[in-house]
Amino acid sequence: MVPSDEELCRQVAEHNAAAFETLLDRHQARAFRIACSILGSEADARDVSQDAFIRVYESAGKFDGRSRFSTWFYRIVVNLCIDHKRRNKWWRKMVPFSTPDDDPETPPVDPPSLEPGPEADAIRSDSARRLRSALDGLSPTQRAAVLLQTEEDLTSREIAEILECSESTARVHIHRALAHLKKTMREDR
Amino acid sequence: MREKHPQTEIAPYLRGDLSAAERDRLASHLARCDRCRADADAYAAVLKTIAADAARIPAPDWRAYRAELHRKLAARRNLVPGVPSRSWNQRLRWASIGTAVAAAAVLLFLTILPHSQPGAPSVDQMAMEDAMGGADIGLLRNYPVVEHLDLLENYDVIEHLDEVAPTDTSDENPS
Repeated sequence: MVPSDEELCRQVAEHNAAAFETLLDRHQARAFRIACSILGSEADARDVSQDAFIRVYESAGKFDGRSRFSTWFYRIVVNLCIDHKRRNKWWRKMVPFSTPDDDPETPPVDPPSLEPGPEADAIRSDSARRLRSALDGLSPTQRAAVLLQTEEDLTSREIAEILECSESTARVHIHRALAHLKKTMREDR
Repeated sequence: MREKHPQTEIAPYLRGDLSAAERDRLASHLARCDRCRADADAYAAVLKTIAADAARIPAPDWRAYRAELHRKLAARRNLVPGVPSRSWNQRLRWASIGTAVAAAAVLLFLTILPHSQPGAPSVDQMAMEDAMGGADIGLLRNYPVVEHLDLLENYDVIEHLDEVAPTDTSDENPS
């Protein structure tokens, strides 16, 4: 029988290394993807998602089972991302956010595909650039809410559980984020 | 009565995240509200762009990722394997103590600071003022002269007051 996440977490609390490895197998990709979406940086996403697993390893005994393990764990990931965004806000205003274009040795994140043609690529790349720029203007919580809904396909209720707020508050965060993105992306054209 | 625009329900509607009753109510509102319909179209476009962008997040090298994670975990453990080193609680406890000490230092500084302001002279300032006050005593001895000179505001004269010889007033009062 395949052990549940909750059972594995209980075993991690007893320092079971194999259980920790299984939780890593199950959740590492999603944790990294969520962190990368919220932080907009692969390096930061790597650090923050690893920190989230370290928290699980050290605090597994505190998981009380009142929510699902995934809700508890993604709450840790999102909170670490929000903390990271807030902590680095002051210097991000002073130091321009680096892009892969700044470093010629960095491979392009979005290598041009031969299939749709260069024009379609340019349009897609331009809309991605405008999106990233608009996402930077969101508060960390708004950003997390809209990205959890869109990229992780979570419901408002699940997002509310992760953000530790009411469902209506989660919907307000998502609405404000979308309204801001709509306005900013239109102005940026 | 004016109808409220159910804007916070547009995104859940687009994602099929509403109950049947909520969905019908919103669909009916969108059918007659140009503003909310325009918002719904715009939000759908934004959601599509976000979803397309998310698909392009590259996966890291998971072997390297896990090796790095295990290195970080090992660094946090004590030398005894299997026993976690400082827990987050312990770290938080030390951080709290540090914060409390810093707060106490700031409070102490703020308590002492007002005494160094001009309104409350320090010991050195008071000693200096006493010395200067003593220097003025000579001036006060000759106050009747100063009074007659009516030159209190001429500081050059005041400074050299002790050098001023007493004036002989007999010439002025021939009697």
